[in-house]
Amino acid sequence: MPERYPGYDVLAKRDGLSWNEPTRSAIAARLAIADEPRFFDIEAWQTLKAVCDRMVPQPAGRAQVPIAAMVDRKLADDARDGFRPASLPPQREAWRRGLAALDATARAQHEARFHTLAAADQDRLLKAMQQGKLDGPDWNDLPAATFFGARLASDILSAYYSHPLAWSEMGFGGPASPRGYVRMGANRRDPWEAAEAKPGSEAEARRENDRVR
Amino acid sequence: MFDEALRKPRGKGGRAPDPMRVGGWVPMREYPGDEEVDFAIVGTGAGGGTLACKLAEAGFSVVAFDAGAWWRPLEEFASDETHQGKLYWTDERLCDGANPLKLGANNSGRAIGGSTVHFAMVSLRMRPERLNSRSKLGYGADWPLDWREMWNYYTEVERALAIAGPVNYPWGPPRPRYPYRAHEINAAGLVLARSCEAMGIDWSETPLATVSAPRGRSHPCVYRGFCVTGCSTNAKQSVLITWIPRAVKAGAEIRDLAMVGRIETNAGRATGVHYYREGQWRFQRARNVVVAGYAIETPRLLLNSANAQFPDGLANRSGLVGKYLMAQTNQAAWGVMEDEIRWYKGPPSLAITEHWNYTDTGKDFFGGYAYMSQGPLPQAWASTLSGNRGLWGEALMREMEKYNHQAGLKIVGEVLPQEANRVTLADEKDQYGLPIARVTYSLCDNDQALVKHALDFMSKSLDAIGATDIWTEDDDTCHLAGTARMGDDPTTSVVNADCRSWDIPNLWICDGSVFPTVGAVNPSLTIQAIACRTGDRIKELASQGTL
Amino acid sequence: MATDREILNGALGALAIGAAGALLCGRTKPTRRKRQPPPRSAMERARREAERPPQAPTVKAARRLNRAAGLIALSTLLDSAVEHYRGSFHNKAMYTPLVVSALTLYVSYHGTGDRRPAVHRFRDFTYLVSAATGFVGTAFHIFNIRKRPGGFSWQNLFYGSPLGAPASIALAGLLGFYSERLRDNELKRSPKVFGLRAGRALAALAGIGMVATSAEAALLHFRGAYHDPFMYAPVVVPPIAAALLGDTALSHPRPPRRLTRWWLRLTALVGFAGAGFHIFGVSRNMGGWRNWRQNVLNGPPIPAPPSFTGLALAGLAALGLLDDHPDS
Repeated sequence: MPERYPGYDVLAKRDGLSWNEPTRSAIAARLAIADEPRFFDIEAWQTLKAVCDRMVPQPAGRAQVPIAAMVDRKLADDARDGFRPASLPPQREAWRRGLAALDATARAQHEARFHTLAAADQDRLLKAMQQGKLDGPDWNDLPAATFFGARLASDILSAYYSHPLAWSEMGFGGPASPRGYVRMGANRRDPWEAAEAKPGSEAEARRENDRVR
Repeated sequence: MFDEALRKPRGKGGRAPDPMRVGGWVPMREYPGDEEVDFAIVGTGAGGGTLACKLAEAGFSVVAFDAGAWWRPLEEFASDETHQGKLYWTDERLCDGANPLKLGANNSGRAIGGSTVHFAMVSLRMRPERLNSRSKLGYGADWPLDWREMWNYYTEVERALAIAGPVNYPWGPPRPRYPYRAHEINAAGLVLARSCEAMGIDWSETPLATVSAPRGRSHPCVYRGFCVTGCSTNAKQSVLITWIPRAVKAGAEIRDLAMVGRIETNAGRATGVHYYREGQWRFQRARNVVVAGYAIETPRLLLNSANAQFPDGLANRSGLVGKYLMAQTNQAAWGVMEDEIRWYKGPPSLAITEHWNYTDTGKDFFGGYAYMSQGPLPQAWASTLSGNRGLWGEALMREMEKYNHQAGLKIVGEVLPQEANRVTLADEKDQYGLPIARVTYSLCDNDQALVKHALDFMSKSLDAIGATDIWTEDDDTCHLAGTARMGDDPTTSVVNADCRSWDIPNLWICDGSVFPTVGAVNPSLTIQAIACRTGDRIKELASQGTL
Repeated sequence: MATDREILNGALGALAIGAAGALLCGRTKPTRRKRQPPPRSAMERARREAERPPQAPTVKAARRLNRAAGLIALSTLLDSAVEHYRGSFHNKAMYTPLVVSALTLYVSYHGTGDRRPAVHRFRDFTYLVSAATGFVGTAFHIFNIRKRPGGFSWQNLFYGSPLGAPASIALAGLLGFYSERLRDNELKRSPKVFGLRAGRALAALAGIGMVATSAEAALLHFRGAYHDPFMYAPVVVPPIAAALLGDTALSHPRPPRRLTRWWLRLTALVGFAGAGFHIFGVSRNMGGWRNWRQNVLNGPPIPAPPSFTGLALAGLAALGLLDDHPDS
């Protein structure tokens, strides 16, 4: 798939007027997250990493967002959302039990750990979890579909889409303060926004994106 | 980092932070705990913050409490969805029922200024007939308020917030001119405009509480688009930068990082509040207590304050505290435009139609809805796609790539008040050792019919202007109301029209929980109007000696 | 969509055309003046000064008008550059006002230094083009507004293509064109333009321009909710000046001119002060001048207010003409 916003990098604006000090500090902390567990034990970590790879298959050939580590830090800090479905335990327990149950299901069905399965098998298991077809002794009374939607997908996608690499990929303007935007109409772009490559204009878009500050 | 305000209270030592200046402070009056103040107010959002100002300006001694922090947006707000989680109510709550609610970022704030610090600034007047929906439209309940009186209080609030709105508003009785002019509509808003014109219905600029020109120290809006994660320029006229500074100036004391856990009563009257601040429980004596914690924390506090004289919780003789919870429906139709829309620019909802709020024909349901243009940020959009369409993996990433071409129309829909939708106490405790809230919520057939009507109509209107890949988000809710409804009858309501509880004459409830019906527009302006009215009524009652 | 580089190229191109036109204009003077060596003494300078042909009042007024037209053209040039840059020059026609107002600015400069009582063909032509551009531009802008959702709504009058902006280049053109007609008058005869008394007609023209420009300021300051009381100045002062000019145009035989003159000077001052206020306005927006890429575009338009100064100068030119030819 060709890049839609070739060469666009939200981080090029980092030292410019679109980023204020609190933003720089918050994103710097996020970018400094090491790809290692603080909260999960090694088995859960392996499963989580494999799940993240399937939930968000990141393009090869660029730096990878350490999604699993970002989810791990949310749990290490126990930063909560302010609500949870009553059928789920608090997030830390839900994650521990959910990952263990997924791994146990993998062993039961494939006689192998989840993270060693082929991508297609991993996808099948995740799909089954999403559809609530995994409830069984391994899951105890943890509702698999609710865990998938309210916990697993929600936390993983929130982690990924809080990362500048994800923003660049989708052409999002990124942080914007004190400088916001001027051109509000359709097909109008401020010079500090991502330029979209239309057929035949890829090189031009790349040139524009190189100039984004 | 940039969360010092969460760790140490700022409103103390005779001073309060000035949210309009970097590192700024202003003097603040303080009251000792054993001094009986006229009013102890729990919560500083649209209800409590507004009332604190009105009462302090009327000369009463006021102490207002908030569990949240006192921010200076200019120096402490990042342009980041995750980081700004510091503005939300993130203590645990349990959600169940057929349609479990989403709380937190969606509709619950914890800060001086309450959720107005991260609200979308949509400032609408409730349609007059909706205040008398039982007698005029045949559903719900009547408010014990006259819409003409409310119309005047709406005007007061619109002036206090310098609402930027259209010169001519297409719906409802005439209203005075908005203090500031409407903002330029972004491409996402023009999608709504064009789709309404294609369907032959009216549309308008949305009246917003963010200034379109300088006001005092407020900068005009820079269209950065992070409104619902907190405004870092102070263009947003939140309670934090409007009513609270006025309240402090008039002599009110505001205590931040002060979680009220219990209201004390003696011989049938409230005597003060127990609150947790700086590592210990403290007590503030008060002649009157006002609860303004919104639709979940208000009933939770009243229920948690149960004692021997009031075993079912305070103000609960009717048994209705916590009941008739309403969460407005918030469904949407989304589509992809050939144009680059870039909906992250500007306030999210710059254009609106209230057509189906003011039109009563052609409906197979009670109530109405407004709908507005949208501009979700990346995390919110990913969550919408995965939560509603179950997308993940490659499929999700492909959808996310269309972000800049996406447009959408989202309703604020009225729901019927149902007794079974309620807030109760769970067994689980929070960090203060207080039972947390369990929120039970289910939509009824009428609510579902309204949603279906809206989704059909909005899908058609997107189709009419050539949007592609149209799909509907069928399950979302937003603003809360109810759980301590006002009325004329002590057996069917918790407070009277003055927000005074029927059971305890010096206990008041002043926030969205007093709504008997929720209406079809965002509630913040109505909450503030009610608070202004309550302030005036208290002043009147005091002068009559009947406080 | 135009990229930034294209926009820059376009803008430079537009200015280059303007400059080329200006050069051309410099080369097509009707009669070539012989270059004289610089005066060797004060005596010689005085002699040469005495030898210069006396300047007809019409020429004096014409030069004043050139100055007025130039100021308005400068205001338009800068304003349209900023506004059309904001509009990303998405239509190539958006370069037109830059070219035309640059040319108008130059020929006005040229005219200001030209003491001859004769029409300058290129100057005259440029002014005519300028006036035409203004009218076509206005039509364009009306078309743009009409096709937006809501049509002639407040939203589109506030934020759509501004109706008043192209009109100001038309005004510069008209004033300039008028100045050429003034030069066309014979000495010692009461000057007329298109058969109208020149002084009175000019007063009326300046007055009408002022009312129109003031109307635009009223619209845009209404958009700004008159958040600062000084925002009333351009809505109050110029219309009074216009009324006084109207009175001047209609009174006979001898209109009151003292108050009018002072009021026009005040109007000129309002124009300059307005630019100052707008500079302050940009600085008080989020990020101040550091965030100029946003605030110059979204803040109050700095180059716009001096249009009032230009119109006030035109009004003063009319008064000057009336001083010299009371029956003009």
